[in-house]
Amino acid sequence: MTSTVSTSAGSTAQVGTAVARVAQLTDQVYAALREVRDATVTALRDSLGAAPAPVVADLAALRPLLWRRLGALIAGIGFIAAPGLLADAPWYLEWWQENPSGRPVQLLRDLDPSSSAFYDYTHWDWYTGPQAGVEHTICGPYVDYLCTDEYSLTLSVPVTVSGAFLGVAAADVFVRRFEAAVLPALREIPGPAFLTNAEGRVVASTTARWITGAAYRGAPGFTAHPIRDLPLSLVAADT
Amino acid sequence: MNTARLAVFAPVDSTARVEAVVRRLTDAIALGLLTDGEQLPSEAELAAQLGVSTVTLREALMALRQQGLVETRRGRGGGSFVRAPDSLDVGVRLRAYAVDELRDLGDHYAAIAGAAARLAAQRALPSDLAPLRRSLAEMATADWDGRLRRLDGRFRVEVAAASQSARLTQEEIRLQADIGPLLWLSRDERRGHDEMSVRRLLDQHQTLVEAIAAGDGDRARALAERHVQDAMDHLIELRLRLQE
Repeated sequence: MTSTVSTSAGSTAQVGTAVARVAQLTDQVYAALREVRDATVTALRDSLGAAPAPVVADLAALRPLLWRRLGALIAGIGFIAAPGLLADAPWYLEWWQENPSGRPVQLLRDLDPSSSAFYDYTHWDWYTGPQAGVEHTICGPYVDYLCTDEYSLTLSVPVTVSGAFLGVAAADVFVRRFEAAVLPALREIPGPAFLTNAEGRVVASTTARWITGAAYRGAPGFTAHPIRDLPLSLVAADT
Repeated sequence: MNTARLAVFAPVDSTARVEAVVRRLTDAIALGLLTDGEQLPSEAELAAQLGVSTVTLREALMALRQQGLVETRRGRGGGSFVRAPDSLDVGVRLRAYAVDELRDLGDHYAAIAGAAARLAAQRALPSDLAPLRRSLAEMATADWDGRLRRLDGRFRVEVAAASQSARLTQEEIRLQADIGPLLWLSRDERRGHDEMSVRRLLDQHQTLVEAIAAGDGDRARALAERHVQDAMDHLIELRLRLQE
């Protein structure tokens, strides 16, 4: 995506408000993820580098927190262990999903990559980003055919102790909910405006020309405004 | 209270729930998410995870047992185990379909695969292409047929997901569960699992990835439709021969 950063006269204030709104929504999710990160470190700290090594059961301590953070924007949340971290499971997700008809449900998957074609999670962007040390990763919008069958965003942060990478704290946000939350602010901007991820995939939009899910590859007369240090941009027509 | 009245007050869409569970587990088995010989969680656990009653789950397991996809053993070390349909005989499976059903399934699958490929070409970004290329690379080095089949299924789901349509992706997964194993078995029957047939399959997928990467929606759609139709034509020929 080609983009120039500038402010255009006329809609500056509304663009600024919309940028702040998007930042505020993602902050809500990242605040929850920092809590999950801290709780994970607390749960595992004592057994790290010691014998016995951490086990799956140690992560059960996260559950009350994970359950509390479900709802509103967050449809699924949890900790994804780096392969080999846990003594009793080479691959593991402590992952919980909201359940409209009752208690949260845990995602259980066949996590043996030798028997499942699907679930080597280490190649997904929500894992590779934090693994490479990126603090704020946003994966998607993408069709989440593994967990929810929904068009989703996955936000993630690294979990580390003294520089050692333990895994990833992540949360799923349905695009339709994120879209509903940012659209009022986008609509205040005169002319077409839309939110894209770092690659140019449209997350929410006020124009049918680039609707949610479309690829924005740059266009004359449009300017991309960064959203702080986040891998998101607000694209608005120059006025 | 008479029976009719009792039926009125039976839980709403309990049949639909049974079907939903059957379909979910069938899909998972067909796609290799659940693998041959794998033990399913206990009935109570599985019912809780799927958010259905134990009665509903038992009905679903009964249907799966009848289809030969689940086996239940009693006693010590017992439980429900997955039976993946790798070894199912093409003839036996094919007899369950009339020719016009096969044609119709093929029409449906070609429409879904074609539409997904066209949208993928319009909308794919580099992060959508990476999984496709990775799956192809893994397929090229797959050392046994079951693994190749699972990767082939994953590749097709990834193409559908690149369309950015959740519905088309769900439909691709459903159709793979319906017809995928049969198409794969017919492919085995035709050419065997030899290097030539794997090469041909990879070439087909490679050409499709190139069309998607080039943003050529018409070509991507034509290729995806052609691939489904070729496979289905062969399946129909097999079915017609069974009647002789």
